[in-house]
Amino acid sequence: MAEGARRIRVGIDTGGTFTDVVAVDEDSGAVVTTKTPSTPANPADGFIAGIEKILDVMGASGRDLTAVCHGTTVATNKLLEGKVERLGFVTTEGYEFMLEIARQAVPDGYGNSYFWVKPPRIVPADAVRTVRGRLDATGAEVRPFDEDDAVAAARFFRERGITTIGVCFLHAYADDSHELAMREVLRREHPEAVVSISSEVLREYREYERAMTTLVDAAVKPNVSRYVANIHERLDALWSDDGDGPTRGFYVMKSNGGVLSADEVTRQPITTVLSGPAAGALGAALVAGRAGFPKVLTCDGGGTSTDVSVVLDGEPTLTTEGSVGAYPSKIPMIDVVTVGAGGGSVAWVSPEGLLKVGPHSAGADPGPLCYGRGGTDPTVTDAHVVLGRIPPHLLGGEIPLDVDAARAGLERLAGTLGLDLERCAAGVLEISAWNQANALRQVSVKRGLDVRDFVLVTFGGSGSLLACRLVDVLGLAGVLVPVNPGNLSAFGLLTVDVRNDYVQTLVARHDGLDTAQVAAVLDALTARAAAALGAEGFPADRHEFVRTVDLRYFGQAYEVRVPASAGSPDAAWAAEVAGRFHDEHRRLYGYDFRDDPGQQVEWVNLRVTGVGPISRPEPQTLEPRDAASPVAPGDLPGQRGTRAVCFDAADGHVDTPVLWRPDLRAGDTFPGPAVVEEFGSTVPVHPGFAVRVDDAGNLVVTRAAAPTEGAR
Amino acid sequence: MTATPVPDPFTDPEGYLASAPVNPAGLPTAYEHGGRLTDAGTTADPVLVEIVQGTLASVEMEVETAIARTSRSPMIRDAHDFRAGIHDRQLRKLTGRSYSALVHPVVRDFPVAQMREGDVYFHNDVYESEGGIGHLPDLCVTVPVFHDGEVVAFVQAFGHHDDIGGAVPGSMPSDARTVFEEGLSVPPIKLWDAGTPNRAALRIMTRNSRMPDSLAADLDAECSACLMGARRLGELFARYGREAVETAFDAILDATTETYRREILDRIPDGTYVWEDYAEHDGVDEPTLHAQRITLTKASTGGPGPGDGGPRLVIDFTGTGPQARGPINHCGDYVGGNFLKKWLAPVLRNLADSPERMAELDVNEGVVPLIEMRFPEKGTLLTPVYPAPTNARTFVILRLLGVLAGVVAKAVDGRMPADQETIRYTGVYGKDAHGEDYLMREVLGGGSGGRYYADGEDTIHVVPDSRNLPTEFTESRFPFRVERLGLAVDSGGAGRHRGGLGYEKHMRMLEDAHFMSIADRSILACWGVKGGRAGRPFEVTVDLGGPEERVVDALADAEPVRAGQVIRIRTTGGGGWGDPLERPYDEVERDLRWGKVSFEGARADYGVVASGSTDDPVLDADASDALRSELRAARGEQPFFDRGPGYARLSGGAVAADVDWL
Repeated sequence: MAEGARRIRVGIDTGGTFTDVVAVDEDSGAVVTTKTPSTPANPADGFIAGIEKILDVMGASGRDLTAVCHGTTVATNKLLEGKVERLGFVTTEGYEFMLEIARQAVPDGYGNSYFWVKPPRIVPADAVRTVRGRLDATGAEVRPFDEDDAVAAARFFRERGITTIGVCFLHAYADDSHELAMREVLRREHPEAVVSISSEVLREYREYERAMTTLVDAAVKPNVSRYVANIHERLDALWSDDGDGPTRGFYVMKSNGGVLSADEVTRQPITTVLSGPAAGALGAALVAGRAGFPKVLTCDGGGTSTDVSVVLDGEPTLTTEGSVGAYPSKIPMIDVVTVGAGGGSVAWVSPEGLLKVGPHSAGADPGPLCYGRGGTDPTVTDAHVVLGRIPPHLLGGEIPLDVDAARAGLERLAGTLGLDLERCAAGVLEISAWNQANALRQVSVKRGLDVRDFVLVTFGGSGSLLACRLVDVLGLAGVLVPVNPGNLSAFGLLTVDVRNDYVQTLVARHDGLDTAQVAAVLDALTARAAAALGAEGFPADRHEFVRTVDLRYFGQAYEVRVPASAGSPDAAWAAEVAGRFHDEHRRLYGYDFRDDPGQQVEWVNLRVTGVGPISRPEPQTLEPRDAASPVAPGDLPGQRGTRAVCFDAADGHVDTPVLWRPDLRAGDTFPGPAVVEEFGSTVPVHPGFAVRVDDAGNLVVTRAAAPTEGAR
Repeated sequence: MTATPVPDPFTDPEGYLASAPVNPAGLPTAYEHGGRLTDAGTTADPVLVEIVQGTLASVEMEVETAIARTSRSPMIRDAHDFRAGIHDRQLRKLTGRSYSALVHPVVRDFPVAQMREGDVYFHNDVYESEGGIGHLPDLCVTVPVFHDGEVVAFVQAFGHHDDIGGAVPGSMPSDARTVFEEGLSVPPIKLWDAGTPNRAALRIMTRNSRMPDSLAADLDAECSACLMGARRLGELFARYGREAVETAFDAILDATTETYRREILDRIPDGTYVWEDYAEHDGVDEPTLHAQRITLTKASTGGPGPGDGGPRLVIDFTGTGPQARGPINHCGDYVGGNFLKKWLAPVLRNLADSPERMAELDVNEGVVPLIEMRFPEKGTLLTPVYPAPTNARTFVILRLLGVLAGVVAKAVDGRMPADQETIRYTGVYGKDAHGEDYLMREVLGGGSGGRYYADGEDTIHVVPDSRNLPTEFTESRFPFRVERLGLAVDSGGAGRHRGGLGYEKHMRMLEDAHFMSIADRSILACWGVKGGRAGRPFEVTVDLGGPEERVVDALADAEPVRAGQVIRIRTTGGGGWGDPLERPYDEVERDLRWGKVSFEGARADYGVVASGSTDDPVLDADASDALRSELRAARGEQPFFDRGPGYARLSGGAVAADVDWL
């Protein structure tokens, strides 16, 4: 390392409106944050601007950067917008209509099959080619791979200029030789093509889901590659990497709660589809864990939507049943439910004459009426500003808001409904809170959890605005608002280990399980994980491997995942795994067949996750209040003034203390009503609630009736 | 029951509308139901209405999620054959995403005033269910919701359990002659008494099932899910008070009534329309036309509302065929057809402005006041007499959706979807390579009908979220290889908007086995409308391309198949919509390119002349123009509906029914 160079790690999260940046000085532990506008036309511009801005704030240069961790929406947006370029699909003979058939499921209500119009398939039927050759479920060859069909398929795509191709052969999860042969033919006949093969993307049975996951991976590959290469080039210029400096890492956040080096990401771009939400949940998990809360619901409120997820003991819950936009993805990803309830959600009257909020959004542009950019419909943000729950400006005063325009819009709405203005605005917020509450219930009920045991961590620009109502509606234990809530996702990026998932389907009944074969598969998966960690620069002594196994009772169609210990697989090891499966099955479903010899346990998938640990930022502490920062008599701590705020339409606007969060100190407590403001975020504290500032500077909001630690 | 003949609706509409409907089942008892909770015109807080409606939808979903998570039967967990519903104390259904059973039989037998918190009621007895339960495997649980010690609502769920006893595993004997062969019937009972489960009742039920453990688990799942839902609803009442919540309930149902009045009923011109369709066999007798007939009368007055009232629909099933000896009967004539009104109303949504709007419309009790149902006397497919069997009543009640779609189509010049598939089961069973018994049974969908705005969709299924079985799953479990899982080319009914395609599945058996099938539409086809042609029917061929190749009956219990032989299953294509000779050439060319229509099919069905290959079809527009005018000139006047060539086989030679003409 060069003499005198600092060691700075940066987390940078690109959102729809702003790019959030958090940097930690690894020597001093100091954490610095900033924001720059996002640049959707070329996200790399906003990214580099953010890096330059934070370095400027820290008085540092590009040479001081040791690592940059990035949460990106490039893949997500590509899928959400459905702007998928022309793709080709190669599969086994007899299955050319796999995508047309899908799983035959019609979404939503009974009777919808009469009018449902299927969304267009990711690959049209005429861009699907089949190849003869067949494996069975064990991977054994039934009929050989047909090279002539493969060549014909490759030439078909080449002649038609289709350069992005996904390959999924039946049972390729069990044996990849036919898919490797296909890729070789494509390489030879159609060298320009970008190819994803299912045995590399997802080694798991169920052909439709594996094919879709493979095609989604292929679809986002060109964009993600271009984007990452572009940033990498500009980062190299910034940290003037001449090859003999320190090892510098450019990492991208993955949907599974780990990071991967950017170069590796371009080979598995599908793993980044929930990059941003995963970072936020991880940040919330770390902050809540340090504050002593093991059961957490996260609520990340943005302009157009709110993401909610569940964190148990510091680990965000994952799912392999996820989807992005219209596309299912079986890749392990954080289990996020997105509800169309954000600051820009539009309030409207349905044909039935009922008041509705969302799911459509005015977004950031034109945005709410109070942005004064040509918005025409009242939004949730307009209701907040009319009621005084947020200040009449954004970002600590940088952007003024047009309160009159918001008021006029809501008055029109109130007139239609026959309500007075305050009742109407409060009603819009109440409906929005219930929409969020129902989403939070869905994520918890699905796991058999009772929300009343949970603390809600609120972040994002609008995440905390309805926090008190959510406590009330859901009966939550309380709310934790972290330091710099607008930057929590970027902060989360600094807390993440390198993680790679590997899976191999191996269907076998427990009684006849060949533990030597299991050991061989686990060894092979571990070797792949180790190779990837080595390539990421982790020495072997820092590699960690986590094994999990998916099992089911013979006859069931869905599996339960349980951890498996590190030891050498033998009969006792296998029995321990089966025992965990019985336990977990009972926990999830209320029964098990532990003592029923008629019910066989079946092994389905073996999984190994390779983990390369990264040092996390040291916990920051906030100074307690001392003589140098007295509280004025009659004021609340940190009070800067008062504003007329309406919390309850029946009480109208009441004079309410406005607190400046940077002026709060550890140990401060105060009751609602109050409004806590800071750069980029506001917390309205309703009457009947109390706030405590903990040692880390988090705001802990609880109902006043509940005993709060250290209450005065 | 009236002895006076009912006036003919076509010749004496006033007399018909004024006459008392025949209601052979009568009303259950004198208990109060179906009324408002607040005075008409009570002002509701629009904010609270939205919160209450959102909470009802959320509770419904939470109950269904909890059942899916903890139940055991594959029909519930995988095929999603279960439903939850929330009803108010007037027994009106408040939720609207799916059908549900009825609370009426529970309050008929257990007065509401005597219910206690923690009570759970159970029933599956078809004839004691007031028409809410169609066959015995549907186990129904009802939990009252309390506020201040009084019952204010009900949470109910039913799910299709694997086995409730009777003559065959699965409790669905296709040749049943009475309900006694179909399993254990339980009339409404108190399964939990103020929080205490009735062990004796549970023991009797599990003792009668071939799968006692999963029966117990399913019941447990339904009970705990409904109790959770009842607690959640109780919290809503506690938060806002009974009056405010009940005002919101009325407002939600009123809004549905108003929406259907404005966006659905107003689209149907006043008048009387009649149509019928058929089940083709009942599992006992030889195939024949089992008619289901609807005479639909729309009047602009006489419905609910002030003055002369608003519009109303009369759905009259007179003319429906006699009760079948086999199990395709459905008990429809109870509580004035309350269950069938909510079962059939989803089809009316097709009259709304766009598919997006159709999907938004809920079907709750708000539709009930707009519809009057009239039933024939006892002894028909829809008014069966105990103990007539009912386990395969899906053939009838799913067909009824199509009958209603068809009769409405006659009223609105065809602006309704053509016909789509019904439920069918196919499977194989035998011993696997280890000598162990196995049964593979699946529900394969078919094509949906063409719509005036779009083609039908391929391989859909009417039950929401019901899924097919992945080849990679079945091949790891059962001794066969799925050589092809594709679409049946040309199976979609030809039309300006083509019907969706059915499956074509080829299974090569690796061990000797038996094939089973419970399906209809193997002779009759999914009908096309307004010039659209019928789709291709269901068909199973065994030993495809081999020396023993043969077509197998759609009702097959044990067709032998030898190792190495291939079974080919083709499922129904949807009916076409509009004249196929009007289908634009580029759409026919795309169908050729996509392999959904063959070159022969393009010529015969669409009058399109094309050469070349599937990858590069070359369409000859001049030759096609000429062929189309030739075909137009050659065909005579066409009926409004096309039922396909199978109809003549059962009708004694007629190619169309009298009611098929406008």
